[in-house]
Amino acid sequence: MEPLLQHLERFSEVLVVSSTTHVSTWDPATVRRALQWARYLRHIYRRFGRHGRIRRAMERRLHNRWWLEGGFGSSPVPGLTNFQALGHCDILLSLRLLENRDLGDAARHHLLQQLFPGPGVPDTEEEPLQDRLACLARRRSAVHLLCFYGYKENQNLPEDSLLKTQAEMLLERLQEVVKAEAEGPSMFLSSLWERLPQNNFLKVIAAALLQPPVPPRPQEEDLELGGPKTPGEGGQELVHWLLGKSEVMAVFCRHLPTGLLTVVASRHRELSRVYLGLLTDWGRHLHYDLQKGIWVGDESQDVTWEELYDRFQSLCQAPPPLKDEVVTVLKSCKAQDGDFEVPGLSIWTDLLLALGSVA
Amino acid sequence: MAQDSVDLSSDYQFWMGKLSVWDQASTLESQQDTCLHLPQFQEFLRKLYGALKEMDFNTVIERFPTIGQLLAKSCWNSFILAYDESQKILICCLCCLINKEPQNSEESKLNSWIQSLISHILSAFRFDKKEVGRFTQGLGYAPVDYYPGLLKNMVLSLASELRENHLDGFNTQRRMAPERVTSLSRVCVPLVTLPDVEPLVEALLTCHGHEDQEILWPEFFDAVNEAFLQKKISLPTSAIVCLWLRHLPSLEKAVLHLFEKLISSERNCLRRIECFIKDSSLPQAACHPAIFWIVDEMFRYALLETDGAPEVLAAVQVFTQCFVEALEKENKQLKFSLKTYFPYASPSLAMVLLQNPTDIPQGHWHQPLKHISELLRKIVEDQTCGSCGGPFESWFLFAHFGGWANTAIEQLLMSEAEPPAALLWLLAFYYSPCDGSQQRAQTMVEVRAVLGCLLRLSRRATLSARDLLAAAGEGRDADAGPGASALIRRLLLTFLLRVPGGRAIARDAVALMAHTDEITHEIIGFLDQTLYRWDRLGIEAPGAGELAKELLQELHAQVQQRM
Repeated sequence: MEPLLQHLERFSEVLVVSSTTHVSTWDPATVRRALQWARYLRHIYRRFGRHGRIRRAMERRLHNRWWLEGGFGSSPVPGLTNFQALGHCDILLSLRLLENRDLGDAARHHLLQQLFPGPGVPDTEEEPLQDRLACLARRRSAVHLLCFYGYKENQNLPEDSLLKTQAEMLLERLQEVVKAEAEGPSMFLSSLWERLPQNNFLKVIAAALLQPPVPPRPQEEDLELGGPKTPGEGGQELVHWLLGKSEVMAVFCRHLPTGLLTVVASRHRELSRVYLGLLTDWGRHLHYDLQKGIWVGDESQDVTWEELYDRFQSLCQAPPPLKDEVVTVLKSCKAQDGDFEVPGLSIWTDLLLALGSVA
Repeated sequence: MAQDSVDLSSDYQFWMGKLSVWDQASTLESQQDTCLHLPQFQEFLRKLYGALKEMDFNTVIERFPTIGQLLAKSCWNSFILAYDESQKILICCLCCLINKEPQNSEESKLNSWIQSLISHILSAFRFDKKEVGRFTQGLGYAPVDYYPGLLKNMVLSLASELRENHLDGFNTQRRMAPERVTSLSRVCVPLVTLPDVEPLVEALLTCHGHEDQEILWPEFFDAVNEAFLQKKISLPTSAIVCLWLRHLPSLEKAVLHLFEKLISSERNCLRRIECFIKDSSLPQAACHPAIFWIVDEMFRYALLETDGAPEVLAAVQVFTQCFVEALEKENKQLKFSLKTYFPYASPSLAMVLLQNPTDIPQGHWHQPLKHISELLRKIVEDQTCGSCGGPFESWFLFAHFGGWANTAIEQLLMSEAEPPAALLWLLAFYYSPCDGSQQRAQTMVEVRAVLGCLLRLSRRATLSARDLLAAAGEGRDADAGPGASALIRRLLLTFLLRVPGGRAIARDAVALMAHTDEITHEIIGFLDQTLYRWDRLGIEAPGAGELAKELLQELHAQVQQRM
């Protein structure tokens, strides 16, 4: 077992190197050896993919390694990150080498010969590398064509295929990170938050929180190439992290569409409490402008009356128990303010009045 | 060889011209034209690769100075890259152009340029600049990790949007705009054989537009049909039925494809014919009357064109049998009445013909036979019955269920009683539909005579082949038509198989009868058909079955030798 795991680690290193300038020292023989190695590991993947114990050992080693390498930050080009990657490690290697300008002419020529011997050349493998590379190219143009000519961003965000795919990937990584280290997910998510475009990240988080819970399949069955799998407990990790990061939660609740937030809140009770807390906070920042006759904020970044109203309205249209909770909160805030029935004195009174029969 | 290279050069010029017009396939016309030519272009690329790999770099540049341009233009056309194996062949062509040892900076630059084209094919269409690319990179995923999953999600999402069209007819906001549906069908043309895209193809086929006109691209139907006929895509029968109902040329091509397979396969093997027919999905699709009519029409045409060739007749009968089986499976409650499938036939005739012989005990088969005969006779001899399409239509309808004729022959031979006129008429009609009433009466007389002979001979202790044939030929009119001769041969052959005395002399008799190639094939056809029929109807024929199989083998061998 240990020699095998060391093979994995060393190949992972090779994979990292294949993207660096170091490849300028590679000659055709090195290229050939690297490809053979990848082929061997792919064979291992197919052989032991359904063998629970060996597979788990390999997964652990790869997850730990990726984690220790700082997979959550510094290195832009990782080695092997998980077990599925093993299934197409030859493609990973080939594409990195092909795109690396520092690879010498002789080595490059040899690489192309190895990768593309030509149609009609018999291969011992049922799915030759050449065909799989061509299939990947074909799938990419398929995505491009469908995207360009048929795609329209789905208003129902969790159903949008781009967001859904990203959400699935995020959840898969979270599952792996959890296995590497218990505190892993929080650190991982925080680092992502620092590095990635936040707008998109927020939407992906929302989509991830709303992925349908799928019954866990036995791991042995999953040998398919590409495509993240079941969400599992990744969703719980997300919630845990959000609860610990109040500034993220504030942005999350402020910038995502109202309807989406309501659905998230219905699904995750702990988040709904934080959301309501934020809303009441924001509400308290508004004061009544006698001249204009409306509730306004002191600063420009304060929430407006309309926004507040929209959110509460949406929440009141959610199914119980969320709806009931919202109404209770509104009523208790109103009571704290003095339980006025007259408008203009307590924002909570006014909200309840405006919500009318909905509340 | 030289001719090949001349062909390749002129092809090259042709495709160079095309690619220049298509550019990046961004306009509707260029996309349409590209889609029409995708298969031929791929063939050209294959030939080109075959030539390139034999040449060295300088020869290539001499013969095809603009080859770089040709390949580059192909790479920038996303429809070409999405089709079948074109991307693979393009890469292989480009690899042929790489200079192993570049001598100067010019050659190095060329290498670089070719390299970048290869990269483009493999890694084009990234989401690098957009947030998606950054996100996936941030998570440590490479395109090969997530593209398959992304494609799957897109396909499923588009497919479910299309289906909402169907279910939510009144919810206008959720309906996909017709232009988008048309766009999608256009874009799917190169992708039809990619298995990931199959749910989308199925959704497109089965979505019912709310427009009066067809919104799917005709090239889409063609592409799907071609892929289906070559087994490069697997679709459920419901989707195929939609395809054929919405696009008539596809259905016609499917039937012609079946005909070609039947013609080019081994003659006289009903089992194989049954396989081909079932494989084509046409019997299941024909449960929908519109499809049945078209297929039936094409069979009718083939029959007329070949003057009632026995192979075509056999195909019609096997098809009908498969169709009836499919109909029974499909309709627990009959969606369409039988009359719908045979609008020109008399309903009572259709009903009787469609009866399954296995539902009736063997001893009672003469009843439906008489009934059929009476009905047919009435239609054929009654000049005023215009609504039933005339004698040919009736004959054609009966020919669908030709198994009844074989049953009639067996009934006649198995019984010692006086042959009923109804059965004689039926057989005479079946084998010579165009005869006038006098001719037919004559045939009936002859057949009766032959039957009488056979009966007498069967009572003899010993029998010789020569006797048999002599007796059968006795009293026959020299002018008897080919139909009557075929009928009589049939009687003889059935006699040889079914009657114990006959089996003993079967080989000799067959040897005497099979004096021409055509008759030999006829006998082979008879044996094959009989075995097939007995098997299907579960008829026990001990002794006869083995004999028939042996004779079949021997005759096949004979035919092989003569060839």
